[in-house]
Amino acid sequence: MSGVLVTVILLFGLAVIVVRRRSVAIGLVAAQSLALGIGALGLAGGRSGDYLVASFVLLTKAVVLPVLLYALIRRTPEPRLVVAANGPLVRLAGAGAVALCAGLLMPPLGLGNSHTEHAAVALVLIGIAIVVARRPLLFQLLGLIVAENGLALLAVSVPGGLSYVVEIGALFDLAMVVTVAAAFAHRIHVELGTGDTERLGGLRD
Amino acid sequence: MTDLVPVLVVLVPAIPLVGAGLALLARTARQADRLAMATAVVTAVAALILACTAFARGGRAALHGRWYLVDGASGLLLAVIAVVGLCSALVSPSYLRTSGRSWTTAARSRSLYYAALFVFWAALLAVPVAGNLAVVWLIVEATTAASALLVAFTGRRRALDAGWKYLVLTTLGLSVALLGIIVLAIGQANAGHHDLHALDWPTLRHAAHTLPKDPTLIAFVLLLAGLAAKIGWAPVHNWLPDAHSEAPAPISAMLSAALLPTVLLIAWRVKQTLEPSVGVATTRAVFIAFGLTSMLVAIPFLWQSLPWKRLLAYSSLEHMGVIALGIGFGTPLAIAGVVIHVAGHALAKALGFYAALPLLRIDSDAGRRAPTGVAGESPTTAAAMGISLAALAGLPPSPLFLSELLIVLGGVAAGQVVVTAVAVLALALGFLGLLHALIEGVIGEKPAHPRRRPERGQRTTVALTAILGTGLLALFAAGVLLVNSSFVETLTRGTL
Repeated sequence: MSGVLVTVILLFGLAVIVVRRRSVAIGLVAAQSLALGIGALGLAGGRSGDYLVASFVLLTKAVVLPVLLYALIRRTPEPRLVVAANGPLVRLAGAGAVALCAGLLMPPLGLGNSHTEHAAVALVLIGIAIVVARRPLLFQLLGLIVAENGLALLAVSVPGGLSYVVEIGALFDLAMVVTVAAAFAHRIHVELGTGDTERLGGLRD
Repeated sequence: MTDLVPVLVVLVPAIPLVGAGLALLARTARQADRLAMATAVVTAVAALILACTAFARGGRAALHGRWYLVDGASGLLLAVIAVVGLCSALVSPSYLRTSGRSWTTAARSRSLYYAALFVFWAALLAVPVAGNLAVVWLIVEATTAASALLVAFTGRRRALDAGWKYLVLTTLGLSVALLGIIVLAIGQANAGHHDLHALDWPTLRHAAHTLPKDPTLIAFVLLLAGLAAKIGWAPVHNWLPDAHSEAPAPISAMLSAALLPTVLLIAWRVKQTLEPSVGVATTRAVFIAFGLTSMLVAIPFLWQSLPWKRLLAYSSLEHMGVIALGIGFGTPLAIAGVVIHVAGHALAKALGFYAALPLLRIDSDAGRRAPTGVAGESPTTAAAMGISLAALAGLPPSPLFLSELLIVLGGVAAGQVVVTAVAVLALALGFLGLLHALIEGVIGEKPAHPRRRPERGQRTTVALTAILGTGLLALFAAGVLLVNSSFVETLTRGTL
């Protein structure tokens, strides 16, 4: 996969931690999945069928999950903007530092392409950072998908490709988790009138 | 008998999946209950036959086909999951009759509860027999979705909070574990093994010494760190006390007694598989670190006056730590202790959670504060709570007394004297914490102004207490015979 495309995929992930609107964040994750699918498709020419399956899986993800998430935000309108604990620049700096640490500290994973390795690990960490830093339920869900896209980036770069059983299985699992999480988000919205996870917290010892 | 293994490996998870589908078609509550009971009995019988087949092979090598692997550890976990799953299904009608509020409409809630329970059970039963690391990961991820819905079944705010936390944290943890699996796949691909079977347990074990050391070490650490989030090892255990205390009691039992040790089995298999590349000292250090941390983190909570289910949840944290410690020591004595501990913890913890059903019926506030003097108002509930707590504390003749003793002796045999000394101290403090809960909560004085309803319909509690209590005593006797057996020797050596 070209270095430029990998960088673009990484930047889409970083942008999710900054934007305020849920619909924009969904669009960014959809664009990231689409870029990944196109990259995998580029690798598929003249290689094993597993690459083709990976491309199909990633393109499906780029369409199906955003549709599901758009439907969710239509059903769970926020009465007012959920105020973030930290400003967008602080969040960006935090996520950027995490990504940089991945680049500096991560030893080679054996892929022979350090740019892809670092970007994939950075995306997983950025996904975790999104879950930690963003309060709205939907953003936490998008954090999971960004982390999963990091894994997909590494998976499509494995020499010979990862087995289609794993690719399809992982898509099925992710779709199941996103569906259950969407059901949770809807129910929580019904219960609290908002998707702000800060309002949920009541379990402490 | 071994000829049946390929058929049973498919049937065991397939039966509850069919049961889940049928539960959705049930038209009345009575019909759903009957279907669930029938499915549960058939599932448990099939799983126990498969477990017995694995036990009957004693110290012989694992049976494996293209997609499955059945060894002594599979047998142990299958038996545990079968018994806990069956008991949870049997007490579910009693829970559903009195649960009141649920996430969905009353008409649908029963069917959805059973469907989710059977999908969760099916996935749990598939894990110990799956022969491939990547496939095991897919199945564990599937358990998350089904069990998260069950955790939040009541639809109350606290249950939704617990379910959401469980879903997000364990999914993130499993993402980290998948990163480790992909790193292993890269190593195997570089060695010319491209297909899915490159990640089969035996293939990985045989190839481990040829895998590059540094990436394999990274893969090992990522896998263990990711799985730790699902096992509930400290410091990534935040979801555990919330999910266990907010889930319906039969589901709490499945989470604590079946899910946690099942995922721990994967960690154990990862250790056995990658040890030739990563080194015994490193794998041992990682397990001991998780084990000791979990035991030490649990202690302050075991000393607090916590609501009953929350106390049991922190006890799970301690016991998963004890099991990790035993696996880390890796000597025959410690592994014998691990086998007894997995089974004993499952029986005692399941009984404790089932006791929460009558406890919450007689005192609806028991979900929010520590129980006091239960024996004075409900002797049968108190008996169940007392047996569970005494067994979990390791009071003789609890099998957990024997298992903890064996793990401690195994630690000394492994030359880990300092670690063993810290572990003994942690076990002693944990014991005192649970003993305090037993004295205050179960056999202490009745509260001055009880606001309790009279107990009724205690037949299920009495029956479960008798069966699981007898099981605990039988396990103590069987545990003595287990030491120095070929079964334990094979588990110690590694069956993959």
